[in-house]
Amino acid sequence: MGRKITIEPVTRVEGHGKVTIRLDDAGKVTQSRFHIVEFRGFERFVQGRPYWEAPVLVQRLCGICPVSHHLASAKAMDVVVGAGPGKLTATAEKMRRLMHYGQMLQSHALHFFHLASPDFLLGMDADPAIRNVIGIIALDKDLATRAVLLRKFGQEIILATAGKKIHGTGAVPGGINKNLSPEERDRFLKGPDPLTVDRMIEWSQAAIDLFKGYHGKNKDLVDGFAAFPSNHLSLVRKDGALDFYHGCLRAVDADGRKILNDVDYQDYLEHIGEETKTWSYMKFPYLRDLGKENGWYRVGPLARLNTCDYIPSPLAQKEFEAYKAYTDGKPNNMSLHTHWARLIELLHSAEVIKELLLDKDLQGTKLVKTGRRAPEGVGLVEAPRGTLFHHYRVNADDQITMANLIVSTTNNNEPMNRAVNWVAMNVLSEKTEITEGMLNRVEVAIRAYDPCLSCATHAVGRMPLEVTLVDARGRVIQRKVR
Amino acid sequence: MLVLGIGNPGRRDDGLGAAAAERLKKHRYRGVTCDANYQLNVEDALACAGHDVVVFVDAARGLRKPFTFTPVGAAGTMPAMSHALGPAAVLAVAAGLYGKRPEARLLAIRGHDFSLGEGLTRRAEGNLALALAFLEAFMKGVRS
Repeated sequence: MGRKITIEPVTRVEGHGKVTIRLDDAGKVTQSRFHIVEFRGFERFVQGRPYWEAPVLVQRLCGICPVSHHLASAKAMDVVVGAGPGKLTATAEKMRRLMHYGQMLQSHALHFFHLASPDFLLGMDADPAIRNVIGIIALDKDLATRAVLLRKFGQEIILATAGKKIHGTGAVPGGINKNLSPEERDRFLKGPDPLTVDRMIEWSQAAIDLFKGYHGKNKDLVDGFAAFPSNHLSLVRKDGALDFYHGCLRAVDADGRKILNDVDYQDYLEHIGEETKTWSYMKFPYLRDLGKENGWYRVGPLARLNTCDYIPSPLAQKEFEAYKAYTDGKPNNMSLHTHWARLIELLHSAEVIKELLLDKDLQGTKLVKTGRRAPEGVGLVEAPRGTLFHHYRVNADDQITMANLIVSTTNNNEPMNRAVNWVAMNVLSEKTEITEGMLNRVEVAIRAYDPCLSCATHAVGRMPLEVTLVDARGRVIQRKVR
Repeated sequence: MLVLGIGNPGRRDDGLGAAAAERLKKHRYRGVTCDANYQLNVEDALACAGHDVVVFVDAARGLRKPFTFTPVGAAGTMPAMSHALGPAAVLAVAAGLYGKRPEARLLAIRGHDFSLGEGLTRRAEGNLALALAFLEAFMKGVRS
């Protein structure tokens, strides 16, 4: 009797997606899909609104990474007001960078400690009731405390630069609306302890050591789980350095050959296509040079460390060298190594935050610049989950007439599907019983990409995780909700 | 006492929690701290641990009444795949990490429209007014 397994990971504001794995009568996987079941058009919502509202409006997409949307939108509107890349004042650009690296720090810390580390430290077969941050507290209180404080430190950086926790207003078209006071700067540099940037650097390094220790004992799992070759895409700085805030588009294939290099992202439409499929509301982006079939790519930490040539901060660079040596300098295509890459980025973020805090330009008073008005602008940032595209057209009355957003989770649509398929084929197929641990491995595969479904689906959802096993005739055999 | 509003004001009535916190904040009640964010997360455990009484304020769907006011206990259950925590999980983190167990309540206020957009609906405004009147009476009792 054929069966179908459905997993519905849906939470408060993170959208509505599910995984369907179809089995034939022998229990062999015949198809797997990670799909999105709800859609509301955010792009239409911003049409008709004045362009200067966009950086605040876009934060409504979700509560997970509002800063990334805020900055990508502001960068697009910089172009519209004639203050595009390289034209912002030093204070404006560095304040935005501080905001962005604060966001990276808190997001990466949250993801690793809250979502990923329970799978590693408590085991993929652990009871879901304890396979979470509460389980981590019971296991290692110091580690959990660091997780909370890393996250808090990043949030405080965002508050100091964006101005507000909800719907921050820091970035405006052409610049920023505040600088960093010496008091704010000193608080991040000197504390009160342990909320200092030096402590964040120390804890980020410890997190890398934690992962490396786990990796050393579980190489087969970490290296083999959901590993598959892919293309990789991200922004890199003009000189090839890792840069989360600005750069050119670069894409490499699974062997490291450059597919795109030094591409101005204002021209992204010439290089990136988006395919729609009838079974998912989430689009499937691809590199036009390679076509729909072969042009899909990964974005995010794994991709970024595959596309960049080096990391421009000393401690993270040292870790990067060890990370690259593990694959003999070739691109890393192992899904769970995304966590390793994410932690190196966590360390880099902390180092950059310190470098910025020590820069006097943050106390500058030249905040905004404008130039020749343009009818169109594209803004990209490397969000925690990967490359985020914002593209707007604005009419002579200053109204937005077109918006196109490609969010990180959408960029990772095909890779997440491939990762789910790997688990389906290697873990679930031809098994007589589908256990909780097996189903969790599906989540682990998706979790490596840290998806944020509210951005990808533009929807509000409120459903629990639902797992349904259905036979070939559509009858439900097994259903789990959590 | 900590009043912690939760929600996204860019999703119409999902902003009820934030609106409640903002309006209470303007009164500057002695001994009451008001804060709001899109959603709860681990660092909110720190704030909870620093207070004797915590009231989480959130928009709710499917309520038949304008609001409900219910006790919340620490519990480690949390949804899979989510970046956010629920009130019970935040309290569990506060208990686990800091050994603090504040007396906690959830003020759930009925929302009617959660689509993209600005401002609360008229009906949600009415529910908020009733909920705030109730909460202010509760706060008075706590502070006296």
